[in-house]
Amino acid sequence: MLVFDNVTLSVGNRPLFPSLSAEVSAGDTLCLVGPSGVGKSSVLNYACGFLPDDIEGAGEITLEGQAITQLPPNERQLGRLFQDALLFPHLSVAQNIAFGLAAGGSKRERLATVADALERCGLAGFEDRDPASLSGGQRARVALMQVLLAEPKALLLDEPFSALDRATRQTVRKLVFREARTRQLPVVLVTHDPDDVQAAGGRSIQLGSG
Amino acid sequence: MKVWPVTVLLACTLVPSAAGLAAAVFAGANLDALAAVLQAPGVPRAMLLSLWTGGIATILSLGLAHALVAMAVTGGWRQRLTTLSLPLLALPHLALGIGLVLVLAPSGLLMRGISPWLSGLDMPPDWHIVRDPAGLTLIFGLVIKETCFLIMALFAALAQVPVAPRLQRAASLGYGPLKGWLVTIAPSCQQQIGLPVAAVFVYGVGNVDLALTLGPDLPPTFAVILWRWLLDPSPLIQSQAHAGTVLLLVLTLFGLLGLWAAGRACRALVSAISVGGRRQRRVRPARIGLSGVAVIGWVVGGLAIVAIGLRSAGGLWRFPAVLPNGLSFTSWQSSFSTALSTLPMTAGLAVMSTLVALVLVLLGAEQVRTNPLRRQQLGQWLFVPLLLPQMTFLFGVQVLLVWIGIDGTALAVTWMHLIFVLPYMWGVLAPARAAVDPRYEQRVASLGVNRWSGWWRVTRPLLTRAMLLSCALGASVSLSLYLPTLFAGAGRIATAATEAAAAAGAGTLRLAAVHGILLSLGPLCAFSAAYGLGAVLYRHRKDVP
Repeated sequence: MLVFDNVTLSVGNRPLFPSLSAEVSAGDTLCLVGPSGVGKSSVLNYACGFLPDDIEGAGEITLEGQAITQLPPNERQLGRLFQDALLFPHLSVAQNIAFGLAAGGSKRERLATVADALERCGLAGFEDRDPASLSGGQRARVALMQVLLAEPKALLLDEPFSALDRATRQTVRKLVFREARTRQLPVVLVTHDPDDVQAAGGRSIQLGSG
Repeated sequence: MKVWPVTVLLACTLVPSAAGLAAAVFAGANLDALAAVLQAPGVPRAMLLSLWTGGIATILSLGLAHALVAMAVTGGWRQRLTTLSLPLLALPHLALGIGLVLVLAPSGLLMRGISPWLSGLDMPPDWHIVRDPAGLTLIFGLVIKETCFLIMALFAALAQVPVAPRLQRAASLGYGPLKGWLVTIAPSCQQQIGLPVAAVFVYGVGNVDLALTLGPDLPPTFAVILWRWLLDPSPLIQSQAHAGTVLLLVLTLFGLLGLWAAGRACRALVSAISVGGRRQRRVRPARIGLSGVAVIGWVVGGLAIVAIGLRSAGGLWRFPAVLPNGLSFTSWQSSFSTALSTLPMTAGLAVMSTLVALVLVLLGAEQVRTNPLRRQQLGQWLFVPLLLPQMTFLFGVQVLLVWIGIDGTALAVTWMHLIFVLPYMWGVLAPARAAVDPRYEQRVASLGVNRWSGWWRVTRPLLTRAMLLSCALGASVSLSLYLPTLFAGAGRIATAATEAAAAAGAGTLRLAAVHGILLSLGPLCAFSAAYGLGAVLYRHRKDVP
């Protein structure tokens, strides 16, 4: 379970929104909605430990009972997806997916895991491709698999579907929510799209006046 | 932990700059010696000559750089301009100077090319083309080098200016590309390239490398007079030289003040032109004229390199033959052992100073990657040594090095090279680091990878080409440094640059050409390796910068 306990963000002395308190159970999705600039993405940045210097954050976030706001960013076990897939451009598709894998295991096992992940997201045979040659939807799916193979305990999605066309958006959205439910991951989704909220189960919190 | 890379960077640069300047002023502020300097034959004229050559070269280089960049950006040949500028930028001043002498002299390649069929001459004419009293050849040499430097500075400045929207807006209001550039882009760039322009002027006033080969002789520029005095064993002349370095500083500051006033006047003029309403849509004549000027500059620069090669390896070469009478490696044989003996030191200094600078710049750039203001400020501080006349600064540093007890050692020379290499490498690497999407860090962390491992696995590959290019530039700068090597090495450290300067100073052109070739080969190899490796690495990855 992912818990936001009285989380507030402020610029100078001006709070961006009234405090945020919410619980997201395993396999559930909480949508953060609200006008641009209200601090939706900043909540995710705070959770991940990457709040910009000009924003002050307060309040605790706990993941499976452990407070995480004081942990180094790479130990928080939060998988994050952005609006653009942000694949590493110097690596092939397979290398990108393998980047998320924990160390250990034989080369054959790692290759099999990567192949299985590509199969699951419908990109079998794309191992050696340059990420730049993929479509937006394909990139989003590779990014999801990369994050999932790192075995996070929660997913933070920062408008990951907004850059995709309608048909691709539905496909990628389905894949993301299916994988999250299968793995019983709590999900926080920042979005402007009511369809996203509906597809996620309808649970949303409005940040700021909307 | 958070502050030390920037602190070390600044300490490396500012401590010797401040201490060097203070030491120079302290050692040189002797009224009797100052008076002796001013009364020495030719000094007032030499000072005027320095201001004239430095000032005119700066103004011409700046105007040409602006015009060429404007034409390149609006005409779609930006990449070509960069590719053409880099080799000339990398060519050491000394090598270019030696080459230009071999091209422009009355017995040079140009005159041979038109003799006797066009000029009707069977003997070299008695013309004062090179080392002319007005310093025109020196200005020409400076313009070739500094235009390339300012083109690069302008391209870097353009990264922060929305060029396309502004030019489109100007075009939609009916302005031609050059006028559009002048009123919408040039004022924004000017502030950002203020320091490089100042550095060009300071170098123009205080340089010895080019002035020694191309500058007038009776009297020479003020910096060359000081250089000769500093090499004189007489304590009286030495004290005169020390006082002279202070005068050179004052002269440079005076010149900078004049340049600043000229800049203000130019800005007012551009403002007046901006609201004048003239559109100046006809750009063809300007485009043709500028292309002609650029072609002349690059052809002469290219010929200079060819001429060095011909002179160093050519046999008997009577006027007006265009090519020498066969090959003769006598010069190479006689200077081979000298060249070989300087090679390890030359290469060692270049490698050491470049590697140390690379580490420092990467650490510093990492620290200020998300703060553009701090990045800009740090870049400005690193630029300080380039804004001081080398003679003044290096004499002061020499005093400091003697005091510390490391003068004349490779360590001292490496430190001096580092000071001059840092601003160039910073100029290439810091913007490249800042251009790496900061969200990669978050992405890497969300995959459970720690920051330094993430840097090594993601940021480093994305910076590989910039690192290679900055290393090539750093090594080229180090190879070309003459005065810093001479002063910090106390005359005991011999490199290709010091040997080339000694040969050029002694007037032995063939020997100078041999060293000029060696001096040119270093940057050529460094840039070839950088471009070659950059092209091979990640060649199948389209989005890797």
